[in-house]
Amino acid sequence: MLPAPDEVPWSALVNGNEVSVRIESNAILLDVLRDKAGSLGTKRGCDMGTCGCCSVLIDGVPRLSCLTLAQEASGCGITTIEGLADGHHLHPIQKTFTECGGSQCGFCSPGFLVVISALLEENPTPNDTEIKDAIEGNLCRCTGYQQIVDSVRVASEILASGDGVEDSTTAKSDPHPSYGGN
Amino acid sequence: MSEDKDRVEGYRQQSGKLPFSRPGSGGSRKMSEPRDEDKIANIRGNGGHKHDDVVTGSAVGRPTALIDGRWKVTGQAQYGDDVRLPGELVGRIVRSKHHYARVLSIDVSAATELPGVVAVATGQDASGRFGVLPVTKDEHAMAQEKVRHVGDLIACVAATDEATAREAVRLVEVEYEELEAVHDMRQGLENSEEPIHDRGKYHIGASNVQKRVFQEFGDIEGMSANAVVSHNSNWLFAGANHGFTEPHAVVANWDPSGRLTLYTPQQVPHYVHRALADVLDIPMHQINVHRTFVGGGFGGKSDPFPHEMCAAILSRKTGRPVRINFDREEVFWVNRGRHPSRIGMNLHADSKGRLCGIETDALIDGGAFASFGHVTTYYNGVLHTAPYEIGAFHYTGARVWTNKPASGAMRGHGAVNSRCAVEVGMDDLAEQLNVDPITLRLANLLPPHSATITGFRVTSIGMRECLERVRQASGWDDKFRKLPDGHGIGIGCGFFISGSGLPIHWEPNKFPHATVHLKIDMDGGVTVHTGAAEIGQGSDTVIAQSVAEVLGLPLDMIRIRSRETDTSPVDLGSYSSRVTFMNANAAISAAMEIRQELLEAAAAATDAPIERLVIGDRRIYRKDDPAVGVSYLEALHKAQEDKGALVSSGAYRTPPMGRVHKGAGAGIAPAYSFSAYVAEVKVDIETGQTKVLKVWAAHDCGKALNPLSVKGQIIGSCHMGLGQVLSEEMKYGRNGHLINPDLLDYKIPTIHEMPEIVPIIVESNDSEGPFGAKEAGEGPLLPILPAVCNAVYDAVGIRTSELPITPDRVHRMIEARCKHEGVTPLDLSSPELHHSELQEVLEARASEHASRDAMRATDPDPSDYNNGALFGFDPEIPADEQDERWVVSVTPSSDYMESPRLAGSAWKHTERRHGGDS
Ligand code: FES
Ligand code: FES
Repeated sequence: MLPAPDEVPWSALVNGNEVSVRIESNAILLDVLRDKAGSLGTKRGCDMGTCGCCSVLIDGVPRLSCLTLAQEASGCGITTIEGLADGHHLHPIQKTFTECGGSQCGFCSPGFLVVISALLEENPTPNDTEIKDAIEGNLCRCTGYQQIVDSVRVASEILASGDGVEDSTTAKSDPHPSYGGN
Repeated sequence: MSEDKDRVEGYRQQSGKLPFSRPGSGGSRKMSEPRDEDKIANIRGNGGHKHDDVVTGSAVGRPTALIDGRWKVTGQAQYGDDVRLPGELVGRIVRSKHHYARVLSIDVSAATELPGVVAVATGQDASGRFGVLPVTKDEHAMAQEKVRHVGDLIACVAATDEATAREAVRLVEVEYEELEAVHDMRQGLENSEEPIHDRGKYHIGASNVQKRVFQEFGDIEGMSANAVVSHNSNWLFAGANHGFTEPHAVVANWDPSGRLTLYTPQQVPHYVHRALADVLDIPMHQINVHRTFVGGGFGGKSDPFPHEMCAAILSRKTGRPVRINFDREEVFWVNRGRHPSRIGMNLHADSKGRLCGIETDALIDGGAFASFGHVTTYYNGVLHTAPYEIGAFHYTGARVWTNKPASGAMRGHGAVNSRCAVEVGMDDLAEQLNVDPITLRLANLLPPHSATITGFRVTSIGMRECLERVRQASGWDDKFRKLPDGHGIGIGCGFFISGSGLPIHWEPNKFPHATVHLKIDMDGGVTVHTGAAEIGQGSDTVIAQSVAEVLGLPLDMIRIRSRETDTSPVDLGSYSSRVTFMNANAAISAAMEIRQELLEAAAAATDAPIERLVIGDRRIYRKDDPAVGVSYLEALHKAQEDKGALVSSGAYRTPPMGRVHKGAGAGIAPAYSFSAYVAEVKVDIETGQTKVLKVWAAHDCGKALNPLSVKGQIIGSCHMGLGQVLSEEMKYGRNGHLINPDLLDYKIPTIHEMPEIVPIIVESNDSEGPFGAKEAGEGPLLPILPAVCNAVYDAVGIRTSELPITPDRVHRMIEARCKHEGVTPLDLSSPELHHSELQEVLEARASEHASRDAMRATDPDPSDYNNGALFGFDPEIPADEQDERWVVSVTPSSDYMESPRLAGSAWKHTERRHGGDS
């Protein structure tokens, strides 16, 4: 049997909420986030730093959670995909990802989205080279990246315009409309 | 009667006494939008279509966000590994260390005793065979007697946590007797002491040949006799993996009532449903297959898998839910990726620049299991009998078992490699004839509504428009053979099925391929039950759009329930690019039934004759007086009187098609897609590095129901194809070991390798497709490989016949060319083109054919056109019925067997039942 690692207390501010749990001293951040901090949105694509699916922000900086010891992030502020939206108002990049085709199967999307949110935070009007450099560590097998870059451009416009993203709970279409004239 | 109808007996609400509150009314957009006749005309296309009358302009044809997109971008989409059930156990698999071995004993005692281990299972717990094709069920949940590749399943464990499960796997002791493994696909053609499988009386000699195909069509004798130029090449294609980002994962749970629910990211839930019943020996109705969100499929999640069986077996043993999720390495052990292939390709052109023969010999490496291989073996040949009209087609194909992870279906299934060889061959023929390669293609296209040499019925064809549009968009005429050295441009075309004509499990005339159910209750929302597997390609969205279009509703009123086999009608799954064509057709039929009920109700409510009514945005009204009408909800409630919720069912099945020779069913499809791409590249002459600069990608999808998705599919296909042509390769070491089962050394293009892609949508308005649509998911991958290869030739004058064209390979070829010409790399010149007289002949023929095709495309009742007319035969009759030199043969002659080609040599063995030794 493997020697059992020590258990240590771990706490961090995950998406603004204080999370305090006990973890094994050698626990990987990705596992802690998924299994103990309720962030199943953070994805495991390879577990070895090659796909970017597990990206999260640690104190605002994109990191691969599969290559990070949980203890390194102890006491830090961690943002995962679940932390991007403001209640029912999506982050602009979440909205444009759906509208511009940035997400197909969606498995890579959490990783791309947190990385891009960090880019836009630092540089709300990135040019194409800056966008590409920001996402060079993320693999997407579906989109060929082009519609992801489109999504970033459009999100950047939304940010520049200062418009928010509408509340997704607003009323949907009335099935009983009146004659609207022709 | 009418008096009676209004009489109410007993205690009932008196009509008119109480205000009838309209449940479900309210919401935003209080006014119905006027019908946009221009948009409707646009969706209808030209030339009359069976769905023209139900177009309302409400959903189809506009770029539409995926309706499940918001789950994905918020992290709330549940993929396989995100299903968490109370009390669940973690399962792990014990895998073979050897390529090929007999399993002598498995000692699970140490593993079982480890604290935290709840169950261990081996092949003894389930001996049923399964496989995606009923004709080749050669898989088991776990090894029965032998293991057939490194990573093959031997046993599985369930434990309370992952670390314990991993430790338990280590503690399972397996005693093996190693057997001599087959690694080289050529070796698979030979007799073996211990073939990898035993197919009983169907076994081919004592070899590892799993499937062989021999086909001759057309004037076989004449093809080289009539040729003025020929292209001969021998290709070697490396195996490729789908590389989806989500590793396989599955959760099995037997609920308290004794039913099994299997949560799995699958493209083919129905086939999993069948296979589970076979292996677990329980009836299908005891099983609910729940498709989770699927993190990419591309064919790699379209087989029932042994690990799915393992989870079910472990859960049955433990009475608890069991979850198994894969490491990336395990994804490579399951594989089912593109077959490593050796393809010999000869093309012949005659003095008129006609393609008088294609001879293809494809040996494909199936790895350890059959998977879809039966079909793949056919597809490597038959899927290049179009878009060109040809004088002869000779195909020999063989798929062999080797001790590698199994190959299977991968985007562009069976068509990608041989298409690459054909299109590079076309480029070489053009070079030898001194004509422009696009012109050569334009002068040899089959027209719309024609039959290929193998008898495939081809309906709409947008090939010509694809070629013309990329020629124009790329500035071809100013660039081809004119770019500076090291810089090149190339063309490639594609042709792919839009759904397979034959359902795998039943006769096509018995059951439908797709069924869709609709339910609308008082709230007015439409629930769509479909088994179509949404795998990220947008099938939920396109089905919702189709229903919305027919009923005149916005998409926010449609909800798709496509997850569970308990509630979804049977659908064959997401493969062979069938979903949009078949499911949307079924959905439209179902919606048309309800549409009729709504129209009748509206007619009753408005006193207008039904023919005068039209459906607009959430309203049904008189076309000549739009103010007279009812809201959708009013019509719905009227239609619901006396019967409650409206329900309907629609189904799709393919029409009878094709010919009758053995194998005639492989490759028939209700429609086919076409594409043409131009790629521009820069090759670094000193390092051999190829950089793709830009791709113009035209694809004929019939009608883009969701142009955003069609473009996404085109760009995504380019990405996957670029990977295969530039960098992706499953590398096997000297001892046959897969040396790169990870995403570091298996090189998927990152954003920096991606050129700009200009997607160009061509709409040929297919007469049988839903609103005219055909596929866009797989066909768009095909042209990118040859377009890049041909561009590399234009750039540096080297013709590759090995993929991927990694810098070392290109560098070696450049060196060889330099040596041959006695120059240094910097003095190498790229090829030139001086048109021969044939160029004008071809241009004239192309323009004549352009008008022929335009007429046939819109002719409501076009005459028959059989392949062969270009060679002087009466187009209305198959050429083989007109000339005895045109043959149809599916078995080799003894003459042929005197010097067979590589895959053709599979026929030197006798099938056991014919050899009489069984
Ligand atoms: S899971 Fe962390 S990079 Fe792939
Ligand atoms: S959307 Fe599927 S991997 Fe990116």
